[in-house]
Amino acid sequence: MNLLDIRNLSIELKTKNQNILAVDRVSLSMKEGEVRGLVGESGSGKSLLAQAIIGVLDDKWHVHADRFHWRGIDLLRLDIEERKSILCRDIAMIFQEPMASLDPTTTIGEQLAEAIDSKQLSGFFWQKQQQRKEAVIRLLHKVGIKKHIQCIRSYPHQLTEAICQRVMIAIALASRPVLLIADEPTAAMESTNQGQIFRLLASLNQLKNMSILLISHDLENITHWTNTITVMYSGQFVEAGTTEQIFNKPLHPYTRALVDSSPKANLQLPSKSRLMTLPGSIPILQHLPIGCRLGPRCPRAQRACVEAPKVQNYHGHKVSCHFSLKDTY
Amino acid sequence: MFIFTLRRLNLFIFTMLVLTLISFSLSYLFPGDPVINLSGQLNSSEEQLALLNENYHMQDNILWQYWAYIEHIIQGDLGLSMSSQSPVLNEIMILLPATIELSLVALLIAMFIGIPLGFIAAIKHNKTSDNIILSVAMFGYSIPVFWLGLLAILFFSIGLGWLPSAGRISLLFEIDIITGVLFFDILLSDSPDKWQAFQDATTHIILPACVVALAPATIFIRLARASMIEVLETSYIKAVKAKGLSFKQIIFRHALRNALIKIIRHVGLQFANLVTIAMVTEVIFSWPGIGRWLIESIYQRDYTAIQSGLLVLSCFIFIVHILTDFIYAALNPLARGNKHGS
Repeated sequence: MNLLDIRNLSIELKTKNQNILAVDRVSLSMKEGEVRGLVGESGSGKSLLAQAIIGVLDDKWHVHADRFHWRGIDLLRLDIEERKSILCRDIAMIFQEPMASLDPTTTIGEQLAEAIDSKQLSGFFWQKQQQRKEAVIRLLHKVGIKKHIQCIRSYPHQLTEAICQRVMIAIALASRPVLLIADEPTAAMESTNQGQIFRLLASLNQLKNMSILLISHDLENITHWTNTITVMYSGQFVEAGTTEQIFNKPLHPYTRALVDSSPKANLQLPSKSRLMTLPGSIPILQHLPIGCRLGPRCPRAQRACVEAPKVQNYHGHKVSCHFSLKDTY
Repeated sequence: MFIFTLRRLNLFIFTMLVLTLISFSLSYLFPGDPVINLSGQLNSSEEQLALLNENYHMQDNILWQYWAYIEHIIQGDLGLSMSSQSPVLNEIMILLPATIELSLVALLIAMFIGIPLGFIAAIKHNKTSDNIILSVAMFGYSIPVFWLGLLAILFFSIGLGWLPSAGRISLLFEIDIITGVLFFDILLSDSPDKWQAFQDATTHIILPACVVALAPATIFIRLARASMIEVLETSYIKAVKAKGLSFKQIIFRHALRNALIKIIRHVGLQFANLVTIAMVTEVIFSWPGIGRWLIESIYQRDYTAIQSGLLVLSCFIFIVHILTDFIYAALNPLARGNKHGS
C-alpha cells in the first residue's frame, strides 16, 4: 500500500483577469520508508505542490485533485478539520529559508516546546513543563546540537542558517512524522553544511523508517540521497522512476537535458567545451504554452505536442511525452 | 541594554540642546528687547534692567548669552509670564500634568480601540468586516477635530446630558494639587467624598479624550491592519501552520507580537500629532492644560510663555518617544543586544 497517493493534483491561481493553472494534473506516490526527490527548475511548482499537500497555501490558490490517499485513507472524503488533524499529525515540513521560517521574536526553546504534542507527555500537569523541557533537549540532541542550553535560550537571528535548519528539523521531528517534506532544505547554505543536513536526513530515514520527500532544483546533488525521483517542469509532470532509471536512462527530453547539463554525467566531454542546455528559459505563469509546456524548448517537439501527452508507464518508470526516448536505448 | 539606554540619553541631551537653541533664538526674533523677552520683566526699573543684563550676560558675545540662558533653565528659572507676571515654571507645573493626563488617556483609548480593530480587519482580510472597519477608519480620519468636539458637546452634553462639557472636575469638589495629575490627587486627598470626585473627574475626561483619540485611533487601525497582513503572509506563520497549531494559537503566540513590533514605533511618532490635536481640544472643552495656555499666550503676545511652553511641550513629547523606544526594545529581541557586522 502506498503511503501517499496523489492523482492529478491541480493548483489554480484565480485572479480577476484570468485563471492560471500553476500546477497541472501532477501525480505523486510514495511508499513507506522511501526517499523521493522532486526535481524541477525554480518556478516549476515544486514548492506549491508541497505546500498544497500539507495544506498551508493561501486562500487565493485553489487546489483540486482526483485522488488524495494517505495510508489508505481517502482524505478528499474527510472534512477540512479532520484532514488537517491527520496531515499535521503524520506529515511535517521544513522550509527553504530556515531563518525566515522561525518566529524572530520567540526563543528557540519555546518554538520547539509548542511543537510537542501534549498527548506524548505523561503525568500530571505540574510534571508536564519539566517533561516538555526534557523532550526539547532530546530533540536537539537528535539533530546533533550539543549546546542545548545556549540554543534553547537564543533567538533565530543569533544562530547560523545550518543550526536554524537543524532546529526546523527538530521541530518537524517533534510530532514524530511518518513523512517529512523537505523543501530545498539546503538552499543558500555552504556545501559542508549541506552535507551535514543531508546526512542527518538520511540517518533519520534509515533509523526511524521515515519517508522523505526531498525537493530540489539540483538533480545531480540529490541523486546520492534518493531512491526515486519525480521530475516536474513548469507545473507539469515530466517523469518519475527510480534514481538509476532517471539518471541513466531518462525517457523524457527534458530529463535528458537536465542530466546532460550536469558536469558529472559529461566526464567524457572535452575541456572548455559548452555543456548541453535547452534554448530559452522556463515560461512565466502569465504566458504558459498550451499542451506540453516544454514544447517551445523541446528538441523533439512535433505537431502532436500542442496536446498534453498522457502518462505512459514502463515497469514503474512513468513518462509524460508523445515522443519519449524509449526507442533510442 | 546599558549602552542602549546611554545612547537614548545621549540623543535626549543633544535634542534638548538644539531645542534650547531654537527657543533662545526666539528671544531675538520676537519684537522687543531680548533680555525682556527672556526674563519677562516688563515694568523693571533702570537698576533692575542693569541687573538682568548682568545676569543674562547681555554685554558679552552671543555664546555667553546662550550659556547664561541654559544656566537659568537648569536652575528652573524660565522667566516671568508677561501677562500675569508670575513665574512661568509654576504655571507650567500646574498646567502640564493636565495635558499629560488628557493625552495619555487619549493615547490609551486610541491604542486599545485602534490596534485590536486593525488586527480584526487583517484577520478578516477582504471580507465584509474588513471593509466596514476600513471605511469607518477613513471616515473618522477625515473629520476635523474642532468640528467633532463641538458636535460631541452638542450631542452628548446638551442633547443627551450624559457627560459634562467643560473643565476637569466639577467646582464643588476641592482637591489639593499634589502631583498635578487629578486622578492621583483625588486618591491622595483625604476628602470624605473622594469617590464621587473620582467619578466626576472620570465623566469629565471621557468626552475630550475620545475626541482627541479618534484621529490617532483610525491611524492605528490602518497601521495595525497593514502590519498584521504582512506578518500573516510571512513564512514563519506558514511554518507554524504546518506545525499543527490552531488559528488562535498562531495569532496569540506568534502573529500578535510580531505585528505589535511594527506598530509600536509609529505610536511614538503619532504622539506629537496627538498632542497637537489635544491643544485644539483643550480650547474647545476649556481643559486647563498647557495647550490652551499656549494658544492664549500667543494671542496675548506673551513671548516668555511661548518660548518656555514650546520647550517644555517638546521635551515631554521627546520623553514619550524614548519610552516607546524602550517598549520596542523590550518586545523585539533584534533591537536589543549588540549587532555585529550589520
